Amino acid sequence: MLMVETQSAVSIDRLSVVFERDDGTRVQALRDVSLDIGEGEFVCVLGRSGHGKTTLLNVVAGLIPSYSGDVRVLGKPVKAPGVDRGVIFQKDAVFPWMRVEDNVAFGLRVSGMPKPERLRVAREHLDLVGLRNVPRAWPRELSGGMRARVAVAGVFASDPPILLADEPFGALDYVTRRQLQDVLLSLWERTGKTIMFVTHDVDEALRLATRVIVVSNGSVVEDQAVDLPMPRSDDALATPRGLELRHLLLHHIGLE
Amino acid sequence: MTEPGTGAASPLAGGAPEQRRPAAWGRWLAHFLVAPSGVLLFLAVWTILAIELPPSRLVSPYAVAVDLWNNFLRSPRLEVFGLGRTGYGALLLYTTRNVLVGLVVGSAVGIVVGIASARLRPLRLIVDPIVLVLGTVPVLVAAPLFLLWFGVVPFTQVLLVGGYSAVMMVIFAQRAAANVDPVYEKSAMARGASWRDRLFLVLIPGTLPEILGGLRITLASAWGLETFAEILGAPSGIGQAIKTLTNVNNVAGMLACVSLVALTAIIMDMLLVALARWVTRWA
Repeated sequence: MLMVETQSAVSIDRLSVVFERDDGTRVQALRDVSLDIGEGEFVCVLGRSGHGKTTLLNVVAGLIPSYSGDVRVLGKPVKAPGVDRGVIFQKDAVFPWMRVEDNVAFGLRVSGMPKPERLRVAREHLDLVGLRNVPRAWPRELSGGMRARVAVAGVFASDPPILLADEPFGALDYVTRRQLQDVLLSLWERTGKTIMFVTHDVDEALRLATRVIVVSNGSVVEDQAVDLPMPRSDDALATPRGLELRHLLLHHIGLE
Repeated sequence: MTEPGTGAASPLAGGAPEQRRPAAWGRWLAHFLVAPSGVLLFLAVWTILAIELPPSRLVSPYAVAVDLWNNFLRSPRLEVFGLGRTGYGALLLYTTRNVLVGLVVGSAVGIVVGIASARLRPLRLIVDPIVLVLGTVPVLVAAPLFLLWFGVVPFTQVLLVGGYSAVMMVIFAQRAAANVDPVYEKSAMARGASWRDRLFLVLIPGTLPEILGGLRITLASAWGLETFAEILGAPSGIGQAIKTLTNVNNVAGMLACVSLVALTAIIMDMLLVALARWVTRWA
């Protein structure tokens, strides 16, 4: 298992978010959430749909500027998106009008990196996610799994210290999802980035995370370290400790 | 090309065996055999009607072609009616120039205003009522007014075509910008894109398919508008020739001019379609 640093990559103190619907009613999406995520941690935010986990991730990403409380990334208050945070979205966000390598190199392009260099970096990252043969393909020519790999490659190519992922593999079939989980884990082990990964899948959380935070009704109801050795095979998750953690998490999301 | 474990729902991901499709040359041959059949059918119906009807009502396609050939470079009878030393070709050139200038300038303004107003709510509050009024009032109603204001000059027709193109393209561009999935802009923002990057690398490419579709419709309408504006009053143009030849009941000449406009409009539409296919080859 990787060593987990203790310095805070993400620091959240008494975060509350209220949305106003079109009819004027107000919805409390997050209520007094406080947590710290250390550098190098792989934290899964687990919860049922509509309980606030995506809102939490979007606040850290800077996509929801209106909130109360204090949210800091690497010590700086979060007001807007920044290059210190890469985001993999739940929806397919690969630009259909750019070739695969240009999609991966997008972050480098807007940061001003010269074209030959950014394409070299893009191809290296396509190689890392198993897509070395399709740099000039259009996204429409790829499967959903391949596009998800492009999204992962794009975020890692931009090299942000913190990676935020919002159920990125939720729409994929089981086998492809497992393969992409392995890709993500290998990139995390290789780069040591801090990852905040939103999921509603307990098994996915247990397979990936060093720590699982359960969000229910806008509040953190469980903050659990996952002390299982990596890599986590199905057998490792079927050990007494693995099953104990599984029951605990299922209990907190209201299934057991 | 298939990557291990990358899914199978795409041409590059392997999957089901490729269905047997006719060779490319076969498809082109079928296209060139089938496509002209509509034109041939149209000409056949026209010819039959021309046989049945008196020449003062309709003449045959052949007679129209002969008239076109004889008057394309220089038409003495148009000189008689005050259109100067000219032919159908020069008049068509005038019309085409006005259509293109009006379309390019008007569409450029419309696209910029449309995209900007789709993203800037205060601008939209200003633009929408104007578009509503200009879009619902038949544009031809404004044509005589423009003639009164600006006189019988080319600018009058260009303004009419440009104004109409701008209004149409505002609507198309607004709708196109609204249909670009917000996740693309969020993704660009999260990767450090400035507003300029988001505009040029996300919003404009994302709106292109719908904008180019709208441009085709606007171009087709622009031809009709320009020709009609010329019929109302213009110093030159194919519309003036149509008006003059209709007044002297020259059916062959009038149909030759109409055919010329139709042919040019079709060619320009085909060029626009080819351009759109290339620009949106990713779609």
